[in-house]
Formats: sequence, structure tokens, C-alpha cells
Amino acid sequence: MLKKYIISFLFLFLQYLVASQNASAIDYKAYGFIQPEITTFLNGDGRHDQSNSNQSIFVKGTFITYLNDVDQKITINTTGRIDEKDSERSYIDFQKLKYEQYFDDITLKIGNELIFWGVNESFNIIDIINQSNLAEDISGTKKFGQPMISLNYNHSYGNFDLFIMPFFKERIFPGRNGRPRLALEVDKSTVVYESSSKKNKIDAAVRYSTVYDDYDIGIAHFYGNNRSPELNVNPLSQKLDAYYPILSQTSLDIQSTKGAWLYKLETLTAKNGEERHFGIAGGTEYTIYGLRETTSDLGIIVEYTFDDRNDFAFNNEGVLALRWTKNDIKSTSLLAGLVADMSGSSNRFFAEFEQRIRDDLKVFIDMSINGEIDADDFTYAFEEDSQLTLKIAKYF
Amino acid sequence: MKRMKYVKIIFIVFTLFPFHLSAETAEEKGLRIAKASYENGRGFTDMVSDQLMILIDPKGNEVTREVSGKTLENLDPNDGDKSLTYFKTPKDVEGTVMLSHTHISDDDDQWLYLPALGRVKRISSSNKSGAFMGSEVAFEDFSGTDYRKYEWKFLGEEVENNETFYKLESYPNYENSGYSKRISLIDNLNRTHKLDFYDRKGELLKTLYLEDYVLYKDKIWMANTMKVENIQNKNITIFKWLNRELDVGINKKDFEKSSILRLAD
Repeated sequence: MLKKYIISFLFLFLQYLVASQNASAIDYKAYGFIQPEITTFLNGDGRHDQSNSNQSIFVKGTFITYLNDVDQKITINTTGRIDEKDSERSYIDFQKLKYEQYFDDITLKIGNELIFWGVNESFNIIDIINQSNLAEDISGTKKFGQPMISLNYNHSYGNFDLFIMPFFKERIFPGRNGRPRLALEVDKSTVVYESSSKKNKIDAAVRYSTVYDDYDIGIAHFYGNNRSPELNVNPLSQKLDAYYPILSQTSLDIQSTKGAWLYKLETLTAKNGEERHFGIAGGTEYTIYGLRETTSDLGIIVEYTFDDRNDFAFNNEGVLALRWTKNDIKSTSLLAGLVADMSGSSNRFFAEFEQRIRDDLKVFIDMSINGEIDADDFTYAFEEDSQLTLKIAKYF
Repeated sequence: MKRMKYVKIIFIVFTLFPFHLSAETAEEKGLRIAKASYENGRGFTDMVSDQLMILIDPKGNEVTREVSGKTLENLDPNDGDKSLTYFKTPKDVEGTVMLSHTHISDDDDQWLYLPALGRVKRISSSNKSGAFMGSEVAFEDFSGTDYRKYEWKFLGEEVENNETFYKLESYPNYENSGYSKRISLIDNLNRTHKLDFYDRKGELLKTLYLEDYVLYKDKIWMANTMKVENIQNKNITIFKWLNRELDVGINKKDFEKSSILRLAD
């Protein structure tokens, strides 16, 4: 409730800032897109009685303005979706709703923001600031905006960031009719926190990042509610109870760029509740430019992740992917690959094609085919959820 | 005796002068003109501009791409300039920002912010011969303007449209170039008017025409239109610089990786 008031207040404050400018001086950018999507599931009806098809509409809108000769910036970035089958997948979120003030070497930022940490293509293990929306995308790459006050100090030795984050947001999971979804529903009424302040706990993070020659390096520490809850089966309700421990995570990320070779590494050590764990993920990306005397490029991506928690979903996984970019007027590209559990036999094939078909229209075709999945694997619940999705984005 | 001295001087002058002329080989003369031509466009300190890129296919279909950019001149003559490019169209790439730190002998450092990913990525810049946004302009055509990236040779003078040009041949001395050689026509104000590019097999690939030269700050010549005609695939790309302003006093820190987010969405 408090958060709603603050968002309204921020909105009014931003409106006031814009309105107080000399009308002729306001220079803004506004753009976005609307994207209808159709999904067909290739194994017929789902294991949990979900439908074999789904329709959805995704929208994104961006508004940016600079005030007082670019010393101040206002950014509004909204995403939302209306989903035919899964009410948990219908939402609206201000991913960014922020006011920034630029001083010589310091940036002050207030409001909702998306912060990405890391270098990997597939296993972004250290990325912790924003909450994931698993209903939107089960892989967790789609995030919600995080309210924060942040300071950035740009020194010749590198960048220092401080984040103070009130208003924790619980993870969103697919609902009963969502596909893919977990075998059991996550109970929203039984959420438990380690912190006595629960979701009102104020989380904090610091990060130092620098560029040294061919290396991009980041060191960070996060202290706050873990974005990823432990899920335990409640034998009475036959639902999953979520428990959010306090996470204290220290991470390092490095990318080395050597010609056509990129080398990537993310590693962390963290105390999650009472237990400490260690994780590492990294790999390489090599690009062949001008494939066979054409204008297209072919990138080869190999990444691996390890986590020393046996019960963790991604504790020993590898990805092998190819990225083909045609470099034509239509920006045609295809990313395809295989994700495999190295300690079991579970695997998944994926392909993502995209092409601009008109100056303001772009078509996307996503495909995900599950191979055999071990019964004890976290993704076993999605075994019969192989799918083909067609998306058409109209930009304005 | 006096006469003898006079003859001696004439002798010295006659022996030295032709010797001095022939001392400049075709390579040295080529390098001298190329250097003068390059220095013609230097001393701008920094620059802002909007750019239009018009892509025309052999059937005459046209699409226009818009970007805006800032450039910071590197006062260190042994290192390259820094540039920041903001993409406006096509609409699906609006909000994309590219930062590049060019170097004379090493690969450039490049970072890209993509709105769809919401992250800044360090990207490889070894893709010299690749096409920029589906155009006939290769990445190396932007990063390869420094005369030190080539070996030069003066081929002679050539008359075209009643104007006499220096004709120069150049060979890239950096790795992964898509060109075996280039032939340029440079006028007596050291401005390049035409540049032929030959592919790795030695076939003529494309011709670049530099037009609409404007004199800035009474000393800097910059072409505000560049037209590239691909001889092999018949595509044409036209580049236009609009609202070009020099020496506007841009903060050096705007060209650091962390500043990309100030421009990003």
C-alpha cells in the first residue's frame, strides 16, 4: 500500500518537474511496441491439464526526458501483458520509473530501476538486484523494476555503486493454468521470511566495476532478502510454501575480449540463511565474421555452470549454442542451442529466430523442445511443455 | 674567382635540387599527401551530429536509418578517437547505444547497450569487414580513416571532370581487412573525392564518393555526404551528416563505459 503511494508521489513529482520546465525546452523521446503472441504446445494438453495453446499480448512503452540542460533525466519504462490462460502472467510493471541527477562525477538515482550484473549469455548467476517474473518466462530472465536510491561515483580507478533498496517484491510463479508451471502451486498466503522485517526489510548492495585493457571487471556484495525462495511441499495443503532467507552474496565477474574471442566468468560465494554455498559459471564465445565470404556472422557459445548445493536446480549444466546473424537490412538472426544437465540425462533444445518485416514490424519465432527429463530434475514438470511461439511486434 | 664561385653555386643548386626531387619516392609522396589529407580533418576537438543513412537496393527500394553521435578527438597522436552513437531508427533498435574507443594499431574497444536486453555488453571489434546496419559501409570504413593504417603509393595525376587529382594507392596494414587495396583521388586542397575499394580477390568491390565539403573553423574540411556504390551487388548507401557542430565542449567522461547508461533507456 505504502509502495503505491510512493509510486503515485513519484509520478506527481516527475510531472511537476516536467511541467516546471520552459515548455519549449522540453525535449523528450517516447517509443514502444505492442506484441501479440500465439503459442502451440507440441505434446497436446499439459501434464497438469493445461491447454495446448495460448494467446498473449505484451506491451512496452518508454518515455525519456532530460531537464536543465541534461543535468537531470526522467525515465519511465513500462511493461505489461494480458495472458489468455494464466492470470499470474497478466501484469503491469514500471521496470523503470526513475529520476536521475548528474553531478560531475556522481549520479544520484531515485525510483524503480533494472540493474543487470554479469557477463554470461545464459547462466547469469550473480544477477541479484531485481526480482524475476517466472510467469512471464520460466527461465527467470524477465525481471521486475526494483525501487531504490542509488549513488554512482565515477573515479579514475573505476566505478563505485551503492544501492539502498526498500520494498521487496515476492517472486511471481506461473498460476494453475500456466504452461510451463511447477507441479504444485506456490501458496501466496503462507510466505515466510527469515528477516523479522519481512518484505519491508531494506536491502543494500555495493559494486565496484572497472575496465582494464581487454578486461571488464566487477566485484559486488549484496545483503538482503534472497530473490529466490526455498519452496517446500506443505503436506496439508498440497501446495508449495515459500521461504525467503537473508542472502549475503559476494560476487566477481570478468570478461576478457581478445579479438573474435570473448571469455566470460561469474563466480560467487554466499550465505543463504544458515548455509554457505559457492557457484561458478562461465564460458566462451567465438565469432566467425563473414562466414563463407558472405556478410553473415556465426557465433559459437559454450557455457557451463556449477553450484555446490546438491538440491539446487542448476548445479551442473552446460549450454552449446550457435548464433547466426545475416547482417542484412532486415536484421535476420537465429540463435539455436542445447541445454544439458551434465550429471543426468535431461536436455532441452531451443531456437529463436527474428526478422524485421517492415520498418515498424518485427517477427519472432521461438521454439523450445524438451528431450528426456529425469524424474528428479527440477524441470521434470515441464517435460511435456515443448512449444512453438510466434510473436509479431508493432513499434510506434 | 668570383665567376668560379657563381658557377659553383649553380652547380650546387643544380645537383641538389633534382636530387631533392627524386629523393621523394612514390611511397613517400603518397604518404605525404595521405597525411596532409588526414590532417585536413583534424583539430575539431569534439563533434556532435545527426546522421542519415539511406539504403537503396538495385530495384530502387529505399529505407532510411537515423543515428546521432558525438566524437571526442584524441589529442594523443598515437591513439584513436572516441565516439558514442545513439540509434533512432529502425524503431525496434531505438535506444541502442554504442561506445567505441578506437586505436591505431590494436583492435578498438567497443560496448553496446541493447534496450531489449537492458545490459551493456563489451563486444568484439575484430569484425573489420562486416556491414554496418545492413549497409554497404564496413566497420573498417569508419575506424580506418587514419592514414597510419595503410601503406601508401603515389600513382600520378589524373584529370576527371576538368579537375586534376592526385591518384594514390593504399594497402591496409591491419588484420582482417576485407580489402586488398584502395585507390583514392585527392584534390589540391588535400580533400579525398573518390575512393575505390578492391576485395580480397583483387576485384573492384565498391566506390565511395565524398561530397558536400564544408570548411569548419576556417581550417577543417569535412564531407557532409558520402555515397557508396557497391559494384558487385549493385546496392547503394548514402550517408548524410546533418547539424554537424565542432568544438562544443563535451565532457571527456561522457565517453566512458559507465556513461552509456546516461544515454540509455
